[in-house]
Amino acid sequence: MQKRFLPDLSRRGFLRAGAGVAALAASSRWSPADADEPNVLNYLSWPGNADPYLVGEFEKQNNCKIRIKEYVGGDQMLAVINQSPPGSFDVVLADAEYMHLLRAADYLEELDPADYPLKDFWPEFQKFPLHWFDGKLYGVMSDFGYLGLSYNTEVYKPDEVGSYEAMWKPKAKGKVGFFDWYLPSMGTVSLAAGNHPPFDLSDAAFAAVKKKLFSLKSQASGFYTIADIFSSLTNGQAHLVPGIGEWITLGLRMSGKPLDTIIPAEGGLQWTESLSIAKGTKKRDLARKFIQYTASPDGQVRQATKVDNKKSIPSMAGWKLLNDTMPKEAQILRLELGKPNVMDEYKKGRIAFRELPKKQKIEDWNDVWSEFKSL
Amino acid sequence: MPPASPKPPIPDAFRPSASIYSGSPAAVPVALGLPVMAWQAVFFLAPLVFLVVITFWQVRSFRLEPAFVLDNWTRILWSTPFHRALGHTLQVAATTTVLALLLALPLAYTIAFRLSARVRDLAVSLLVVPVFSSYMLRIYAWQVVLGADGIANAVLGAIGIPKLQLLGGAFSLQVGLLTLTLPVAVLILVFAMVGVDRTLIEAAENLGCRRAQVIARVLIPSIRPAIVLAGTTTFLLAFGDYIGPLFMTGSKPPTLSILLVDTVKSGSQWPRASVVGVSMLVILVLVFALGRLAGSVRIRRRSP
Repeated sequence: MQKRFLPDLSRRGFLRAGAGVAALAASSRWSPADADEPNVLNYLSWPGNADPYLVGEFEKQNNCKIRIKEYVGGDQMLAVINQSPPGSFDVVLADAEYMHLLRAADYLEELDPADYPLKDFWPEFQKFPLHWFDGKLYGVMSDFGYLGLSYNTEVYKPDEVGSYEAMWKPKAKGKVGFFDWYLPSMGTVSLAAGNHPPFDLSDAAFAAVKKKLFSLKSQASGFYTIADIFSSLTNGQAHLVPGIGEWITLGLRMSGKPLDTIIPAEGGLQWTESLSIAKGTKKRDLARKFIQYTASPDGQVRQATKVDNKKSIPSMAGWKLLNDTMPKEAQILRLELGKPNVMDEYKKGRIAFRELPKKQKIEDWNDVWSEFKSL
Repeated sequence: MPPASPKPPIPDAFRPSASIYSGSPAAVPVALGLPVMAWQAVFFLAPLVFLVVITFWQVRSFRLEPAFVLDNWTRILWSTPFHRALGHTLQVAATTTVLALLLALPLAYTIAFRLSARVRDLAVSLLVVPVFSSYMLRIYAWQVVLGADGIANAVLGAIGIPKLQLLGGAFSLQVGLLTLTLPVAVLILVFAMVGVDRTLIEAAENLGCRRAQVIARVLIPSIRPAIVLAGTTTFLLAFGDYIGPLFMTGSKPPTLSILLVDTVKSGSQWPRASVVGVSMLVILVLVFALGRLAGSVRIRRRSP
């Protein structure tokens, strides 16, 4: 049983898996023609989520194929769904902060909570606020993680990075790398400025965040895509990166890189991925089954242990199966029941949801980010 | 005046193929060119027109809507990030052009005049390979070389030089852009130099010109259009490049191509991104036109 779930965590295995994912992505391109295929589930998602490790068992059980249309970033996801005819997608995986926009644009089916094993989830996630609108459910959490401050352990000791203020210290000059996405990067700066929640800001507080962000300019090493964050951390371009989390540093650490992630005293951000049924689908039953499968203990363990993307999972039943079958993985992922685990920070109230700006337009935050980059 | 004697008939053996000349000869190239023109109209001109049109459209709730608003133009052209990105991009592309020409001219001269024909062909082949190989892979290779723990610092460390920050600045950016542009510039110049009339060079040498004088007075003037073409091509490639600035500097500071992508990401703002794109296109056309002008202007020389 353990063998079934145990991924090869060697560097070679990591690279091989990456190549496999790339090959898969190339071979399983989504096409609008797939929309009417009864045995094809059209899946709009972040890259890598149609990896056979995640969906192969579901495809076998249901005699179907998952066709993924990949996007990078919530804005791109909204653009894709906006530009596709109704019925193009059966299932959508979205970052939770974008769900209200999908809901407002009437792109999502209402879900019946009784269809999904929500009672298996941690109580904090059974009625996750970003999934419910007017008392109705529109999404089921597939995985989550925390964003804080990632750092080079050869340069920093944990007590030196206990606060985001480490980014402003002379030691960090020219060595603070930024994930080139305003939301998590400005979100952590907002936390550093004492805003909790970090995205619900008055205009005065927003101006203060802008000032604090701009004061980081001389500290910045660069602005990186996801792929380049990996290389900037490993090739020494960046020693500190705010707004990213264990899902990046854990894989690198297991490959022998001196990296770790901490949730500083000012708090961290929770990213959440949510599965929904797209309105207009002709394969509602298959879509429901897919979400049920992903939320099942087996599907959840696969989410947590995907070789190139380690995640936390909301299902306690998933945690139990992981602990029973892959205790070492459970320990590394801090998903151990009855021991200090990833839920601790959440329970202490140190984690804020990653949300879209509440009082300003997305464009206003983006403009500040563009200006910061051009300083 | 006696009537002109009729021309003797052209023997069939010398008559051009009847199928080619069955219509108007002038129509043949037109007929052959029509599909190409149609292709260009459909796949180049039409998208270009559309690009300009959507600069006046607007975005509502991430959805592109036809409209006629000037807001996109005013917002982009008057914004500080655009001005900074434009200045930075022009400066970076100009630097690359100067560096590429300074490096390419002696290299091309060596290949064209100092190597045997066989070795010259080999050198040209070696220059062609990188042009058609993945630029992205070459950039990743430079990251391995220039990283803090990369090959360059390992070599420097071996001779006692402390680690240098080679990645993430103007140096690494130029390394990336020259990786893209230098082979192209060298190839253009090699082909031009190979085509230079050798008798002119020999004549100059026979008349007592030193090598520097031959290069300055005969070779450079002979290949001036190629130098302009190499410089223009280098500038255009560097000006529009996205990968080099993104991966060699971490977008710091952003170039216009990075600003363009950032603008799309900012709430699916295709109209504003199109403004950036159209502006880039206008600048490229201007540079190209200036290049053509520089290449065609005759330089008046005083008689010795």
